[in-house]
Amino acid sequence: MVCIRKATVDDLLQMQACNLLCLPENYQMKYYLYHILSWPQLLYVAEDYNGKIVGYVLAKMEEESSECHGHITSLAVLRTHRKLGLATKLMSAAQAAMEQVYGAEYVSLHVRKSNRAAFRLYTETLGYKIHDVEAKYYADGEDAYDMRKQLKGKSGGHHHHHHHGGECCSAGADAAKSGEEVRAQRA
Amino acid sequence: MGASLPSKEASNFKLIVRSYETKQYKKGLKAADAILKKFPDHGETLSMKGLILNCMDRKAEAYELVRLGLKNDLQSHVCWHVYGLLYRSDREYREAIKCYRNALKIDPDNIEILRDLSLLQAQMRDLTGFVETRQRLLSLKPNHRMNWIGFAVSHHLNSNASKAIEILEAYEGTLDDDYPPDNERCEHSEMLLYKISLLEECGSLDRALKELRRKETKIVDKLAYKEQQVSLLVKLNHLEEATELYTALLSLNPDNYRYYEGLQKCVGLYSEKSQYSSDMIEQLDALYKSLQQQYSRSSAAKRIPLDFLQGERFREAAESYIRPLLTKGIPSLFSDLSPLYDQPGKADILEKLVLALEGSIKKTGGFPGSMEKEPPSTHLWTLFFVAQHYDRRGQFDIALAKIDEAINHTPTVIDLYSVKSRILKHAGDLKAAAALADEARCMDLADRYINSECVKRMLQADQVTVAEKTAVLFTKDGDQHNNLYDMQCMWYELASGESYFRQGDLGRALKRFLAVEKHYADITEDQFDFHSYCLRKMTLRTYVEMLRFQDRLHSHSYFHKAACGAIRCYIKLFDSPPKSATEEDEEMSKLAPSQKKKMRQKQRKAEARAKKEAESKNEETNASNVSKSGKRHVKAVDPDPHGEKLLQVEDPLMEATKYLKLLQKHSPDSLETHLLSFEVNMRKQKILLALQAVKNLLRLDAENPNSHCCLIRFFSKVNSMPAPVSDAEQLVRNVLEAELPAVSPVHEKSLTEANMSFLRKHEDSLMHRAAVAEMLYLLEPNKKPEAVKLIEESSNNMVSINGASGSVRQWKLKDCIAVHKLLESAMDDNDAASRWKTRCAEYFPYSTYFEGSQSSAVSDAYLNSLSKNSENGDVNHIELTDSITVNGKLEARFKDLKV
Repeated sequence: MVCIRKATVDDLLQMQACNLLCLPENYQMKYYLYHILSWPQLLYVAEDYNGKIVGYVLAKMEEESSECHGHITSLAVLRTHRKLGLATKLMSAAQAAMEQVYGAEYVSLHVRKSNRAAFRLYTETLGYKIHDVEAKYYADGEDAYDMRKQLKGKSGGHHHHHHHGGECCSAGADAAKSGEEVRAQRA
Repeated sequence: MGASLPSKEASNFKLIVRSYETKQYKKGLKAADAILKKFPDHGETLSMKGLILNCMDRKAEAYELVRLGLKNDLQSHVCWHVYGLLYRSDREYREAIKCYRNALKIDPDNIEILRDLSLLQAQMRDLTGFVETRQRLLSLKPNHRMNWIGFAVSHHLNSNASKAIEILEAYEGTLDDDYPPDNERCEHSEMLLYKISLLEECGSLDRALKELRRKETKIVDKLAYKEQQVSLLVKLNHLEEATELYTALLSLNPDNYRYYEGLQKCVGLYSEKSQYSSDMIEQLDALYKSLQQQYSRSSAAKRIPLDFLQGERFREAAESYIRPLLTKGIPSLFSDLSPLYDQPGKADILEKLVLALEGSIKKTGGFPGSMEKEPPSTHLWTLFFVAQHYDRRGQFDIALAKIDEAINHTPTVIDLYSVKSRILKHAGDLKAAAALADEARCMDLADRYINSECVKRMLQADQVTVAEKTAVLFTKDGDQHNNLYDMQCMWYELASGESYFRQGDLGRALKRFLAVEKHYADITEDQFDFHSYCLRKMTLRTYVEMLRFQDRLHSHSYFHKAACGAIRCYIKLFDSPPKSATEEDEEMSKLAPSQKKKMRQKQRKAEARAKKEAESKNEETNASNVSKSGKRHVKAVDPDPHGEKLLQVEDPLMEATKYLKLLQKHSPDSLETHLLSFEVNMRKQKILLALQAVKNLLRLDAENPNSHCCLIRFFSKVNSMPAPVSDAEQLVRNVLEAELPAVSPVHEKSLTEANMSFLRKHEDSLMHRAAVAEMLYLLEPNKKPEAVKLIEESSNNMVSINGASGSVRQWKLKDCIAVHKLLESAMDDNDAASRWKTRCAEYFPYSTYFEGSQSSAVSDAYLNSLSKNSENGDVNHIELTDSITVNGKLEARFKDLKV
């Protein structure tokens, strides 16, 4: 039905189009470029039989926090392609890569309080828990749940490296800066 | 820097530089002014002051100061560097490179300037220059990792991958054995994978595989490791190992179709065009049966066999694939199977299959031969599938009957309305399609996808005003009324531009098309920051991929559409330049008094509406101007929101040529590129360029009706050219005489003859007959009746597509509309046009264009049923009625009148 694979740079334009069709939180192309050029392992797409991108996950590593962790910037699946478990497959792929490549301790995300369908997916299917509530997180004034899922211990993965506080794989100060230049980050 | 200054001023100068770097511009300005008070001619200070002003959006002053600074101190590398930075900030990279080069003449070893220069060279793909600069940087600072990597990448980009490998290995030689430290493992791993990909690129496959295995523990990206390994194994023909590895990859991700393809290649069962012998099909079937057992949760292993199985085996496999998905109610099932409709015979099998399922469920409540009862929803999803099936086959009446049956079955499923909307669109009722899409939208106002779909349908129905209002429900961004432009929402801009174009509002159409063009320019610009970023991050494989992507960027379909749209606008603008106010007045005076009155009334109404709209918009922006943080956001106001200034270009064809050049460079295999090139160059009297276009059209598709028209028009033009007078004209004539015999057999015959022989080749095709008719009329205007007859005597035969049983009429709605426009405008025969319309209304009863009996242009059945539904207190429902009368064209015309 639908192919789940790592995204390439050539997918980015279609990912952006998919995002603009489905979600109210949008980003300029540079933000997509920033993601894939920083963490190429963390972007996945769902491609249908006609070669069209019908879903994607855009994720990143938080480099400045004390605990190395991943963050889901954006996840979308076209309404026409729901009920196929695509969101779950995309999320699982990105989470696995965060853990395996970067040794992420946990993964975080934000979700609109009113988005029950997404909330159910995160809690019931994917095992996320509410960590905090961020008041007026979204541009229209809606609150967000700050949700987290613990990664380590679950798989007891074979990490031959651990990270010291401060950085996941050294990223110069400019790494974060480049992100800000792209757009004030929210997702 | 600032060397010539006394110590107090020198330290002030350092302060300027620091302030600039930390973006404390006011502080920087103050320090600069303090120096200038004592030394008003100090070049470097003047330059730095200009640079800071540039950051504060004071461009004109900035350039003035920077140029003055440079004039005062031509021997300062700072002044040259600053001048380069200024150009760089305005994306004038070629000028910037010149400045940096001058700066380097004075200070050849300046690391900062060399680095800046290298970034520009990467951006401009000045690859030899890039290699040189990178080499200088490495020899100046060999202890920096970035300089090694940068030098290697520069060679790779300059088509010297083996040199790049040498450099990376030399760099590795400088590292300790226990490298990397924990916090650099990711970067190092990426560097190793990059090097291995270079080895693969050079064809050193054995070495690549050896190196990959030797560095296994240092490569943290295990998935990339496996994918790289399998790629090498296949190329080295180590197929057994590769098979094993693909199996391992599939157990990690059984939904990746590329792994299945790879596996098929390993076992010798892969064909690029999916053409398999019956023996191969046998083996493939066995392979996938075992894969289905291995990866029971993968739908790919079940779906792929439908591509290669034939006949009865296909039917069986399709049935066991479809049944559970109908039970589950998978909305995308039809779109998943739709590629099979391009294979001969399969659509027919699917039709029989799903009709049997539908019949059985209706009768027994279960699938054929099954004792189990299906849930009621299975019936619904079966009808949903059947409706889409008939839509795909062009049998719109059955499709609509089936989707209505589904809606009656369960009126609350939104997808049904979306599909009904799509069927109506295909059938030609754009207005009803938009209404249905709006109905779907109102069923879940929080879902942007159905909002977008609705906006798209509204734009197709030329309801631009209401479409924008609908889109804005999701695009208010804090202070902003609408962030569609900022967020690069190109599908919207294109659809909106096309609608404005159809309505003749060229200003707004151009505005949208050029917005898309600007997004592409911005994306090209976006890569700039990553030239240095990726050297630090070491994501070099992706970086190179990104550069290649950028090199092909303008061949992307959105850009292609936007450029074509803009060129068409400019052509129209050239053909009928916008009327000045006095001309409009003259036209008014020609009207009868009653008409005049009507026009004035309409005009006043439109003015009042526009005024009200402007006022409410103003209030909105005033109210929201103060954001949460209390800061006043002053967003630059677009001085030309409706594209009126765009219409005032002096030379529309010159503008068109700008975009034409991009199309020719990036879409040389598109027929449309050369059709537009022909139109533009014929108008510019550039005969040789028009000839070039004709040659390209013939190369791509000599049998295309449009190619034929261009060919005939071209020769007709050449034949009518006066004898050459000037040397230049003689030169053109000589080239033509040398070239023409090679172009086409047309040269041998008379044009009329050539036109007729084209007809004999394509007698059964409507569009070919229309092309011949149009050319006949062009060549011999007195033969208009014959030309019209040619069109009218075309017959709309029943055809079966891909051996399907139920046959449909051959003609396409959009072709029939094109023919109607041809009769109406180019052939200027209103009687024939009206006969054509009556005839097509029969073929396309849902078409609003032809006012078919079932269309909303005639009966408002669909719209009426809708308004009943939406009376149920839906606040967000937007009125649909203001669509066609308040469209942009009229609005714009009234505005022009006012001026």
